[in-house]
Amino acid sequence: MSQELLFYAFAGLIALCSVMVVTSRNPVISAIFLVGDLFLLAGLYASMEAHFVAAIQILVYAGAIVVLFMFVIMLLNLDPDQRSQVQIAAPEVGILALTVIAFAVVGGMLVFGQPTGVSGEMTAEAIKGAGGNTFTVGMVLYTKYLWPFELASMLIMLAIIAAIVIAKKDRPKSATDGDKRRLAHG
Amino acid sequence: MGLTDLVALLSSDAAIQIIASIVKILIIVVLCLQIPPIMVWAERRAPAMMQRRKGPNRVGIGKFRLYGLLQSAADAVKLIFKEEVVPTGANKVVYHIAPIFSVFTAFLVACAIPYGNDITVFGQQISLSPIRLDVGFLFILAMSSLAVYGVTLAGWASNNKYSLLGSLRASAQMISYEIPLGMSLIPLVIIFGTLDLNKMVIAQSAFPWSWGVVRAPISFFLFFICMFAETNRSPFDLAEGESELVAGFHTEYNSAKFAAFFLSEYVAMFVLSALAATVFFGGWQVPFVPYDLLLKIAFGLDWLAALVGFLFLLLKAGFFMWVYVWVRWTLPRFRYDQLMALGWKFMLPIGLFNLLITALVVAIFDTVTRH
Repeated sequence: MSQELLFYAFAGLIALCSVMVVTSRNPVISAIFLVGDLFLLAGLYASMEAHFVAAIQILVYAGAIVVLFMFVIMLLNLDPDQRSQVQIAAPEVGILALTVIAFAVVGGMLVFGQPTGVSGEMTAEAIKGAGGNTFTVGMVLYTKYLWPFELASMLIMLAIIAAIVIAKKDRPKSATDGDKRRLAHG
Repeated sequence: MGLTDLVALLSSDAAIQIIASIVKILIIVVLCLQIPPIMVWAERRAPAMMQRRKGPNRVGIGKFRLYGLLQSAADAVKLIFKEEVVPTGANKVVYHIAPIFSVFTAFLVACAIPYGNDITVFGQQISLSPIRLDVGFLFILAMSSLAVYGVTLAGWASNNKYSLLGSLRASAQMISYEIPLGMSLIPLVIIFGTLDLNKMVIAQSAFPWSWGVVRAPISFFLFFICMFAETNRSPFDLAEGESELVAGFHTEYNSAKFAAFFLSEYVAMFVLSALAATVFFGGWQVPFVPYDLLLKIAFGLDWLAALVGFLFLLLKAGFFMWVYVWVRWTLPRFRYDQLMALGWKFMLPIGLFNLLITALVVAIFDTVTRH
C-alpha cells in the first residue's frame, strides 16, 4: 500500500518535472528541473529496494552529467531575444506524434510487458536473500554480463580519447612556427 | 480518541521508528547549526595564537568574556538582520534557490554518518544515523556530488563576472577532485567488504592497528588532500581568491543567504571530517576499549555507550576540523593550473594504482586463507 502510494507520488512528480524541462523558456531552469527529475527517479528506484542503482543514478547523472550540461548552457548564455526566436515549426504535429508514440509504448507494455522485480528470479526478496543489492549487481555484472560490460567500457574509453583528439588544438611545433602563423593571420 | 488509544498508537513499532527519526533529524540539524559559530571563533583565535596576537576576546556575557566565544553569536545576529540586496539583472528564482540547495545537500550528507552503534529503545532497534542504508557510503558520495549545483547556480544567477568565474572554478575543482575522492575510498570498501558505514566502523574494531588508516595509508593520504579541495578550502580556495575574484561565487550574496553558504561550507567540512574519522579512524569506537567492554563499563546501558561513542566521533572529527584551520593559516594558495595538474596527473594515477594493488592483495590474501 505505502509502496504504491510512493510510486504514484514519485511518478506524478517525475511527469510534472519532465513537462517543466520541456516547457521552460530558460535553459538553466530546464536543467534544474532535469536534476529534479533524476533525483525523483532515484527515489523511485529506492522505493523498489534498488538502493545501489538509486545511488549510482544520482552520482553519475545528477552529479556529473547534468553539471556538464549546465556548464555548456551557462557558457553559451543565450540572450532572451535569441531564445524567443527559436520557433517550433508545427507544434500540433509534434504533439500528435508524441501522443501516438506514448499510447503505443504504454499499450505495448500493458499487453506484452512483464513487471520487473515481481516475477522471475530477481525479486526483491531473492536479492535480499542473496546478499543485497550491491552484491547481486556486482556478481551478475562480472560473471553473466562480463563481456558486454567490458566492451561497453572500452567503447566509452574510445569515445573519451576521440573527444580529446578532436578538441585538441594543433600546437605549433616550435616558436618560429607559431610566429609565422600569427603573422599569416595578421 | 481516549488517552489509552493515544498511548497505544504512540507505542506501536512504526510510531517509535518515526518519532526516533524526527528526534535524530532534530539533533543533527541542531548540531550542524552549532558548527559555524564555533568554527568562526576557532578560525579567528587560532591564527591569533599562531601569530602571537590576541584575536577577538572581548564579546561575552557581562564580566565573563568566555575567550570571545560570543563574538560569533554577535556575527550571526548581524548577518541575519543585514539589509538584503538582490543585484539587478540577477535571475531572481535561481538566485534564491542556490543557497537553499547548498544547505539542503550539506545537511542530507550529514544525516548519513553513523554517529554510534545501534541502540534498543522499547524493544525497537534504532540506528543512530537518520539515514541508514546498506549503500550509505555511496549515498554520501552521491549527495556530496550534488553540492556543486549550489555553487554553479549561485555564480550564474548573480549576473556578475567575478561570481561566474568563481563558480566555474569551484565547480571544475569539485568535479575533478570527486574522482580521486571516490578512488581513495573504494580500497576501503574492498578491505572491509561492505558499503554500510556502521558495519565499516564495527569491522575496524577498537584497536588502532586495524583501523582504515593503517590498512590503507595511501588512501588516507589521497582522501586528506581531497578533503581540502572538495570544500574549496585553503590551500585550494582558488574559487574565492580575494585578490583575483573579489569573493568568488558568493560575491553578490549578503545577509542570511550569505550565511547559508557559510553554513553549508562548514557543514561540508564537518561531514568530510566525520567521514575521515569514520572510515579511517574507527568512527565511534573508543580506542583500546572494545564495544562489549564499553557496554559493561556503561552499566549495560547501550544508550550511554552510544553517547560515549558519539563524543569520541566528535572528538576525532573535531581534530580534522582543527587541521582545516591549521592548514589554512600555514600554507599559501595554489595556482589554478597547479591544482588541476595535481588532481588529474598525480592524484588520479596514484588512486588507480592504489586500487589495483589493494584489490590484488585482498584477492591473494582471500585465496591463501581459503586453502
